[in-house]
Amino acid sequence: MINWAKRKLAFLSKILPLSGPDEKSESALSQDRYKSLRIRLFFLIAALAGVPLVVIIIIGSVWLQGALREDFNNQLKGNIESTRQSIDFFIEERISALRFLASSNSFGQLSDGKYLNDIFINFKREFGELVDLGLIDSKGVQVTYSGPYDLRGKNYSNQDWFNAVAVRGVYVSDVFMGYRKFPHFVIAVKKELPEKGTFCILRATIDMATLNRYISTVNLKSKDDAFIVNRVGILQTQSRYHGNVLDTVNLEVPRPKEAVTLSEVRQGGTTFIFGYATIKNSDWTMGVMVAPTAQTSLVNLLASDIAAIYLVLLLISLGIFANIRITVKVVNWIREAELEREEAIVQTHHTGRLASIGRLAAGVAHEINNPLAIINEKAGLMKDLMQMTDAPIDRDKFIGLIKAISDSVHRCRTITHRLLGFARRMDIQHEEIDLNDTIKEVIEFLDKEVLYRNIGLVTRLKEDLPRIVSDKGQLQQVFLNIINNAIDAVKDGGKIVVSSEVKNRNMVRISVQDNGQGIPKDAVKSIFEPFYTTKGKGKGTGLGLSISYGIVQRLGGDISIESEEGSGSTFSIDLPIRAAGQ
Amino acid sequence: MAKAKILLVDDEVEFASTLAERLNIRGYETSTVYTADAVLERIAGNVPDIVILDLKMPGASGVDILKDIKKFNQSIEVILLTGHGSDQCNSECQSGGAFDYIMKPVEIEGLTVKIDMALKKKKG
Repeated sequence: MINWAKRKLAFLSKILPLSGPDEKSESALSQDRYKSLRIRLFFLIAALAGVPLVVIIIIGSVWLQGALREDFNNQLKGNIESTRQSIDFFIEERISALRFLASSNSFGQLSDGKYLNDIFINFKREFGELVDLGLIDSKGVQVTYSGPYDLRGKNYSNQDWFNAVAVRGVYVSDVFMGYRKFPHFVIAVKKELPEKGTFCILRATIDMATLNRYISTVNLKSKDDAFIVNRVGILQTQSRYHGNVLDTVNLEVPRPKEAVTLSEVRQGGTTFIFGYATIKNSDWTMGVMVAPTAQTSLVNLLASDIAAIYLVLLLISLGIFANIRITVKVVNWIREAELEREEAIVQTHHTGRLASIGRLAAGVAHEINNPLAIINEKAGLMKDLMQMTDAPIDRDKFIGLIKAISDSVHRCRTITHRLLGFARRMDIQHEEIDLNDTIKEVIEFLDKEVLYRNIGLVTRLKEDLPRIVSDKGQLQQVFLNIINNAIDAVKDGGKIVVSSEVKNRNMVRISVQDNGQGIPKDAVKSIFEPFYTTKGKGKGTGLGLSISYGIVQRLGGDISIESEEGSGSTFSIDLPIRAAGQ
Repeated sequence: MAKAKILLVDDEVEFASTLAERLNIRGYETSTVYTADAVLERIAGNVPDIVILDLKMPGASGVDILKDIKKFNQSIEVILLTGHGSDQCNSECQSGGAFDYIMKPVEIEGLTVKIDMALKKKKG
C-alpha cells in the first residue's frame, strides 16, 4: 500500500504541482488548495484537449474551404459551360437553318420578296429570336428583305462582315447598331451560284436581347456579373461592372480554346472568381465574375446553418461537462492518494518509533534490572539473616540494607520517569525547549551502552544556545536515532562527539560526529530513504533516518550528512529557532 | 569437606557484595571482583571452582572475560549473569564454554542449584 501510494503520487507529481514531502498533513491540504488544483487541472485538460481540437478545426477548416472552393469552382465551370453550350447551340442551330434555306432554295426563289417573307415567317415561328431576313447579291446589294425596316437595296459591299462571309462562307457578327439603330448581330451564310459564276448571301438579324437572356441563365448573386465580350474587348451584352453594350471593358479577356478557365480578379476591393469560355463560330468570349467568399467561408457556412451552431454549442457543453467530471475525479484521486500516503507515513512513523522504543526498552530493561537485583539481594539477605542464622539481629546492618533497597527504588524511579518523559510525547506539540538539555536527556538513556562498549561520547554544547520553539518529543526521537546510529557505527572504544552551535540568526545546528566505518559514497544519496540500511540483516529497520528526515523537515529544519568511508560520519541537524509556521 | 570457592564478578558493588554474603551463609567461600581488569589477576592468585560473571561489564564484554578465564584454566566453571535471556545469550554462553546463565534478579535457590550442578560436573 505504501509503495502503491508513492508510485501514484510520483506519477501525478510529474504532471501536477503536488505538495512536497514536508507538506504532509491533511490539514495543510486545505480546500482552497484543492479548489486551486481543480481550476489548474480544468485548464490543463482544456488546453490538452482544446489545442489539438483547434488545430484539427483549423486544418479541417482549411481543407473544407479548399473542398468548398473546388466544389464551387466546379459548379461555376459547369454553369458557364452549360450557358456557353446553349449559346453555341443557338448560333449553330441558326447557321444550320440558314444553310438549309440557302441550299434548298434557288437564288430566284429567294429573290422573290413574297417567297422570302414566307420563309422569314416560318423561320421566326420555328426558331424565334429573329429580327429580319435578307438576301444580298455578290455586289453587296440587299436584293430582297423581310423584316420591320426598309432595308431593300442597301449596299453592304464596303462592310467587313460582307467581305468576311464572302471569304469564310459563314459569319457571325459582333453586336452593332447599323441601320437599325439598336444593338443586334447578324448571322450570314454564303450561297454559291455556280451556274452564274457568282454567289449570294442569306443574312439573319438577331436582337442582342437574345444574348442577354442566355447570359441570365447563369446563376448569379447580387454582386456577381456575367457578360459577353468580343475579341477586342467590346461588350456584346450589358455588364454590372464594365458598362453597357458596345462599351469597352477595362479587362484583359483571354480566349481559352477548349474548357472553361478560372482565375482570380480584384474588382472594387473584392476578389472575384473570373470564369471564361469561348463561344464557337464567333469572336465572343463569355465572362462570369463571382464573389466566392459569400459562399465558401466556413464561418458564413456555419452561421447560415442554425443546426450547426446548436451542434457546436452542444459539443462544447459536453466537453466542459466531461472536463469538470474528469477534473473532479482526478482531484479526488489525488486527495485519496495523499490521504493514503498520510496514512502510510503515519504507519511508517509508528513502526519506526516502535523500533526506537524497542531498542530503548532493551536498554532500560537492562538498566532497571540492576537496581531490582540489588533490592532482591538486600531483601533476600535480610530474610537469610533472620531465617538461616542464630545471630542476634544487627539493627544497624538492617537499616543499611533497607537504605540500600530505598536507594535502588529511587534509581528505578529515575529510570522510569525518564522513560515516561519519552512516552508521553507521542503527539506533536510545540514548546520552548533547551536543546542542550534535550540532548543530555537522550544521552542519559545511552550511558550504559556507551559505558559497556567503552565509547568516548563527548558533548560540546554551546552554553548560551538560544532556546528554540519546537517539538521536544520528536527531537528526542531524532537525536536518539542519530546517536544510536553513531554508537552502532563505531567500534568498541570509538569516539562520538555531540555538539550544538548557532548556525545563523534563524537556525541552530546539532552535529553528531563519529569515527566509525563511514558510509560508502553511493550509499550516502540513499541514506534517508525508507527501509534503506547499511547495517547487517536484522540489525536495522531502515526507518530511523527516514523518519528523522521527515521529522526535521516538518519542524522546518534540515538534516545532512558528510561521510568518508573508513573515517567516520557527521550528521548535521539544522533547526529553526522559531517553529515552522510561527 | 572443603568449601567450594566462588568468585563473583559484577560492576554493581552492592549487588555482588550482598549476593556473596548470601552465598557465604549457604556455605560457599565467596569473593568478589568489581572490574573486568582485575578478574584474571584474582584467579591467578586464588583459583576458584566457579565464577559467576556479569555479561555486561564496563569496557569489556562478559563473553571475552569468559574466554580469557577458560583460556587460563579450562576447569573453572563459569555461570553468566544477564539482564535478559535470549537465544543470542544462550549461544554466546555455549560458544564461550560457560556452564549456564542465570537472569537478574537472581533467585538464590535457582542459583545454588546451578552452582551445585557445576561443582558436580567439575568433580566429574
